[in-house]
Formats: sequence, structure tokens, C-alpha cells
Amino acid sequence: MANELMPLLSLSQAKALVAHLEAQQISAANEIIESAGIAAASEDSMFGKVGELTRELHDTLLSFQNDTRLLDMAGQDIPDAKDRLNYVIEMTDAAANKTMDAVDTCLPIADKLIEDLEAVIPNWQGLMRRELALGEFKILCHQVDDMINESTSRALTLRSSLTDILMAQDFQDLTGQMIRRVILLVQEIESKLVGILTVCHAGSAGLKLNTNKSDVKRDIEAEGPIINAEERDDVVNGQDDVDDLLSSLGF
Amino acid sequence: MNRNMKVLIVDDFSTMRRIIKNLLRDLGFTNTFEADDGNTALPMLKEGDFEFVVTDWNMPIMQGIDLLKEIRKDPKLKNLPVLMVTAEAKREQIIEAAQAGVNGYIVKPFTAGTLKEKLDKVFERLG
Repeated sequence: MANELMPLLSLSQAKALVAHLEAQQISAANEIIESAGIAAASEDSMFGKVGELTRELHDTLLSFQNDTRLLDMAGQDIPDAKDRLNYVIEMTDAAANKTMDAVDTCLPIADKLIEDLEAVIPNWQGLMRRELALGEFKILCHQVDDMINESTSRALTLRSSLTDILMAQDFQDLTGQMIRRVILLVQEIESKLVGILTVCHAGSAGLKLNTNKSDVKRDIEAEGPIINAEERDDVVNGQDDVDDLLSSLGF
Repeated sequence: MNRNMKVLIVDDFSTMRRIIKNLLRDLGFTNTFEADDGNTALPMLKEGDFEFVVTDWNMPIMQGIDLLKEIRKDPKLKNLPVLMVTAEAKREQIIEAAQAGVNGYIVKPFTAGTLKEKLDKVFERLG
């Protein structure tokens, strides 16, 4: 049935055409011919459009097959992004624990300080009021002496714990660099998806492709924190390696 | 070593600038200033009488390595000591920094001890 030949002009249109011609109604007769022609032409243009879309889809699918960047993203960058995000979790975990360890060290020092002060205060106040017996005075002297002796080492512990807390905050910089790289990857995936959508949905032609490629190559590209330094031989593994390398360069 | 010298800390992460600022203060350097990338640092260096720069590598607009190269190119700044404190750990990067004339290179994460040691070394060499 689909192959059945459809006339360009229906029987009723043909009859009307003959009637118009017989009555010398030329313009009315021409209108019938034109309307039939337009219908045929619009059918042609529809098939043309479908053909065009099919070609575009075909080309795009081919270009996706040939786009090695997509393969790289799926095979390398996305697993890499997972590693980076896991590294972020590890770093924030380590920073949180380092900070809490330091707090655990500091709190007993503060408690001990309060306790010692409370023990000294009664005798001290007695001394200030000149109401202290010799025995009590001796006790006070020992208490104060102990406090002085312990305070130095406690203050040093406090100081080093506070420095630990300070240094633990370096995770913000290092994880920030990691997350920025993952954001770049997500943006790239987004632009590829928009590319696919643009092809599959002719109505979304207005969607703009992000052609703003981030892969402007520098001589040596900054890479940010290295997550798998042990597995790579092009990177140093800690400050000692840096020092060795620099001294080998005559530094 | 004049501990009152003017020091510029260049890093795009404010947390890291604060960490370095605090560590420097612990070491007695209190005259510190901050910039968030090479592009903001360079005019500050050209205008101010800075005596020492601590810079990150990976920053937007102007990276630390480019800042270092600009410093070495500038007749007025070329002798300014520059210490790089960065997560960049590729050998070729460290070599590039050395060739560009860096005075010290610290990889993040680092310790307060490392910073002190490298600072001492930089100034010891400068005499």
C-alpha cells in the first residue's frame, strides 16, 4: 500500500480545474495547480530535511568514534577524577584527625593549668594578705616551683600543637587544586554532552557549544598535587628528592 | 639576616598564604604582605622595596614560574631571592625553576621545619 502511487491532483481537484477552465476562470484554475504543487514541494523539503538530519547524525556519530578525547575521558580522566576525589577525602580526613589530635594534646594541658592554679590560689591569697604560716609558705613555694618547671614544657607542647593545627590547614590548598581539575573535566564532559544533544535534537540548535578549550598547552604544564607519586618516575617523592635533584644540579 | 625585611607571599589559596604568614611570623618575619597571583604580585614588587618572595607555582593568570622569570628579567628586581612553595613535583618543573633562577624549592605538603631550613639556606647563601 505504501508504494501506491498518489496522484498530485485529486479527482475532485481535477474536476474543479476542468470546470474553471471551461468557464474561462483562469486565475481560479491556476490556484488549484499551484496549491497542488506547493503540497508536493513541501513534501520534498521534508524528505530533504530528514535526509540532512540523517547525514548529520551519521557524521557526528562517526566523529564521536574518531574523537579520542572521549576515549581518554572515559578510560583515563574519569578514573583519574575518582582518584583525585578519593585523595580529597583522605586529605580532609587526615587534616581533621591531625587537628583533633592536637586538640586532644592541648585540652589536658589547659585542664592541668586550671587545676594547678586552683591549688595555689588559697595559699597565694594568704600570702598576699600576710596571713601565711611558715609551713604553708613552704608548700606554696614548692607548688609555684613545680608550676614554673612544668610550664615551660607545657608551653612548648602547646606551641607545637598549635603549629600542627596550622599546618593541617594545608589540605584546603591541596584539595582545592584537585577539585578544580575535576571541575574542568566535568565542564568538558558537559560540553561533549551538549554536542550530542545539539545533534539529536534539532530544536536545540540554540545551545552553544563550549569551544573554550582548556587544553592550551604550556611548555611545562602545572599539574597540581601528585596523587600517585610512588607509581611515577617523572615526579619527586617528597622534599628529600627535591633537595637531591637540586644538589645534583649544583644547587 | 634582617628579620624585619619586607616579604611578599604569593599564593592563590588564602589558607596557604595564612599558613606561610604564620610560619614566617613564628620565625620572626612579621613584615609580610600577600598577593593572590603573579599578576598582582609583580606590580607590588616593582613598587615596594621587598627583600624576599615566597611563591606558589600553579596560580591563575600569572603562574609562579612566570613571576620568577619576570623578576629575573627586571633590572631592579633580578637579585630578589625567590623561594618556591608548591605542589608541583615533576622533575622537569624543578629543573625549570632552578634554571629560571629560583633560590629554593619546597614541595607541598611541607613542614614548619622545612620552611625554616630552606629560609636559612637561602639567606646563608646570599651572605
